[in-house]
Amino acid sequence: MTVVERGNLVGVAVDRVDGPLKAAGAARYPSDFMPDDLAHAVLVQSTIAAGRIRRIETGPARAAPGVLTVITHENTPRLGRGPDPVFAPPPPLQDDRILHHGQHIAVVVAETPEEATAAARLVEVDYERTEPLLDLDDPRAEQVHDPGARDLSRGNARRALASAQVLIDVTYSTAAETNNPMGLFTTVATWDGDALTVHDSTQWPVFVRATLAAAFGVPQDGIRVLAPFVGGAFGSGLRVWPHVVLAALAARQVDRPVKLVLNRAQMFTSVGYRPPTVQRLRIGATHTGELVALEHEGVEPVAMEDDYAESLTTASALLYACPDVSARLRQVRLNVACPTWMRGPGEGPGVHALECALDELADRIGVDPLDLRLRNYSEVNPQTGKPWTTNALRECYERGAERFGWSRRNPEPRSTRDGRMLVGYGMASAFYHYVQNPCQVRATLFGDGSAYVRSAATDIGTGTYTVMTQVAAEVLGLPVDRVRFDLGDTEMPPATRQGGSGLTAALGSAVHNACRELVRSVLDLVRDDAHSALRGCGPDDVSVDDGRIIRTDDPSRGETFAEILARRGLAELTADGSSERREDLDGEPGVFSAKFAEVHVDPDLGVVRVVRVVAAVDGARILNEKTATSQIIGGTVGGIGMALLERTESDPGTGRIANATFGDYLVPVCADVPHVDVVFVGERDAANPIGVKGIAEIAIVGVAPAIANAVFHATGRRIRSLPITLEKLL
Amino acid sequence: MGQPAGPAAREGTRIAFPEVAVTLRVNGASTHLALDTRVTLLDALREHLALTGTKKGCDQGACGACTVLVDGRRVLSCLMLAVTCEGREVVTIEGLSEDLAVRPLQEAFVRHDALQCGYCTPGQIVSAVALLAEGRAESDEDVREFMSGNICRCGAYPNIVAAIRDVASGSTDALV
Repeated sequence: MTVVERGNLVGVAVDRVDGPLKAAGAARYPSDFMPDDLAHAVLVQSTIAAGRIRRIETGPARAAPGVLTVITHENTPRLGRGPDPVFAPPPPLQDDRILHHGQHIAVVVAETPEEATAAARLVEVDYERTEPLLDLDDPRAEQVHDPGARDLSRGNARRALASAQVLIDVTYSTAAETNNPMGLFTTVATWDGDALTVHDSTQWPVFVRATLAAAFGVPQDGIRVLAPFVGGAFGSGLRVWPHVVLAALAARQVDRPVKLVLNRAQMFTSVGYRPPTVQRLRIGATHTGELVALEHEGVEPVAMEDDYAESLTTASALLYACPDVSARLRQVRLNVACPTWMRGPGEGPGVHALECALDELADRIGVDPLDLRLRNYSEVNPQTGKPWTTNALRECYERGAERFGWSRRNPEPRSTRDGRMLVGYGMASAFYHYVQNPCQVRATLFGDGSAYVRSAATDIGTGTYTVMTQVAAEVLGLPVDRVRFDLGDTEMPPATRQGGSGLTAALGSAVHNACRELVRSVLDLVRDDAHSALRGCGPDDVSVDDGRIIRTDDPSRGETFAEILARRGLAELTADGSSERREDLDGEPGVFSAKFAEVHVDPDLGVVRVVRVVAAVDGARILNEKTATSQIIGGTVGGIGMALLERTESDPGTGRIANATFGDYLVPVCADVPHVDVVFVGERDAANPIGVKGIAEIAIVGVAPAIANAVFHATGRRIRSLPITLEKLL
Repeated sequence: MGQPAGPAAREGTRIAFPEVAVTLRVNGASTHLALDTRVTLLDALREHLALTGTKKGCDQGACGACTVLVDGRRVLSCLMLAVTCEGREVVTIEGLSEDLAVRPLQEAFVRHDALQCGYCTPGQIVSAVALLAEGRAESDEDVREFMSGNICRCGAYPNIVAAIRDVASGSTDALV
């Protein structure tokens, strides 16, 4: 079958198909669902970081107006843990121990949110406190080496560093950040016997289903999880957090539908965060900037009894040709909530440290930062020696530098002014290693020639609804407005999680395959049909366009889908398709980018303004220029936050998060964000039939170091801790 | 969808907190409610009137997702108690969506891809409607400044500015 190729590298900028619904306020997020007879649950959280509950007094709360029940560890049944501990934390309320500040210790269920909130304040807890471990340097804390087995090394970095002509030895730190999607995470749970319907803020509905089945020991097929719209997540919806289980538990105990909405403060304690990091970089190079050795050691916290792993240092082994490399991560078990994936997990802070350290090397030896990257360019994956499936990083540098006007950069720091403002130019490379996981899709063709395609995936704002509609329309040869793609319901075929930049490739491949199978099924209908112009045609003998299958050997002969279905008396025809995790590739899939930033720094006040950003991205084939550009802009905004604003502050004595509000935890607002110039380069990727790479993470990776390097260029000051707030520059 | 009902409508519930009879005039229609005095305008709209287009992003008056118009001015409905809205004219995204004059702005948001997850979008649009009516969308800088009370965590800001400027440079008279 010849698929009609409409797109070259960059696909049609179709408007977001769910845009009108969202602009009308009519898209329904989990908190917008209100089943009849709904009760409301509010969480009570620990106010200490370590110890145990000696006594929890729920009497006054139970006696408060409207209260239906109070759930604590004393009346919670054994709950099973979800099938994969990476995505399913330990179930809540199973004992009296406190492992972090903000741990859920009770759930109050009442008739109204106001009553539940008021009663939650009446729960009295008598704690037996122990001294919490809260400091990365605490010698008593357990060390976890190489979590997730992602450390990479080659050669002997230590020895090569010792003999290098130039040595850079620097330590960078990055702050804890909180994902803080705008949508307060919500679970609405309704039981009917052992059957359960859940609306949830999630990036992976089928795993929510699996975890709830395990938690309550009920069959999966009786559980339906719905998430047609999710108010952002940025990684915080990948795990099935304890509050999801607690909402379902509350509904089971009061035998009514229950809604549990995390408040903003709880969004800081209950759904993960980007861990703070301390990273030591030792870079050995020649006087002319050839890298001879690189050692990258990262340290970050992890929870006492829950795990999280990320590729903090691995990009340091993959971005540049360098013979001797050691990239390692160590975690320290502390009395903290478990960190989780936040857009650009691992690579976000890890590439920041690497790219700033390289900027220091460039400055030390007097080589242009971009030239330094080019001198150490690797055409292949330098760790394996295997080629990438595609790699257009060199083109990212060239196109990005050209659009940015990098050649105008005066190499001398603090040399350029605009009025009284210090002007700085900075750049950074970016890399992200994405994966494709299995997806299944069902596609149906109707008698009127329209199509309905679906899978239990999510669209957390990325444009999944839209680009999957486009992929289906392309393969089926239908106009976009004749195809409906639906998602967010576990009654649909299972899809993988929306994370790690992998969904578009994985789900898009399955949509492609299902739609191809559907065309094949239509051809099967007329294989022996003497009345059909397509008699005997196989998928390779035809093309499809505007709802019509055409013979490639004679384009004047063909039939429409509608005609074929009508002749066979079929109201509809359905086919399934799937995609698998790809292990058999010629190369390895990686996403590349180069980021360029200009900042203006007030020399008296230390205020940094990002004036413009150029992001050149090798995302392989771009399905939709409009939504993809928005992804890159959005990641850039996240990178501005990471560079200049965002820092989750924990009180060092108690582990309490001290700035759990949008008034205190600063995120970029409209006035913080300049024009972002996005350019896509590269070629179709061979890793999947639709030729794409994932671009969600690469959007943020490299932004913070480009800004930090620009701040150095503007001021001559090297700030080695994020965020770069004005007091650090004064 | 459950029918909106005040706590008093439920049987067997102990009511110890003061309830107040209030008439809310929302999107041109009046509704009589008996409300717990702690109920915010935001929760009254969402939980009692089933107008869920207005979103709760922080409940602290810091994100703008709950922006509605009260007597023509943009307010944060999470910071207003519903009982204080007696006799005032409340307009939500649902009301604006029925106003043909607002449609160009909504279309501009879609055309410029000024939304991603869409959760902050109703608040952005309500704010933008007021901004345009106030004549504060005369430059990109103005829009960036005056729209900074509405957080978009997906980071659609440049496109939000473009959408509002697109409408501002056309016919602002059409709005409100």
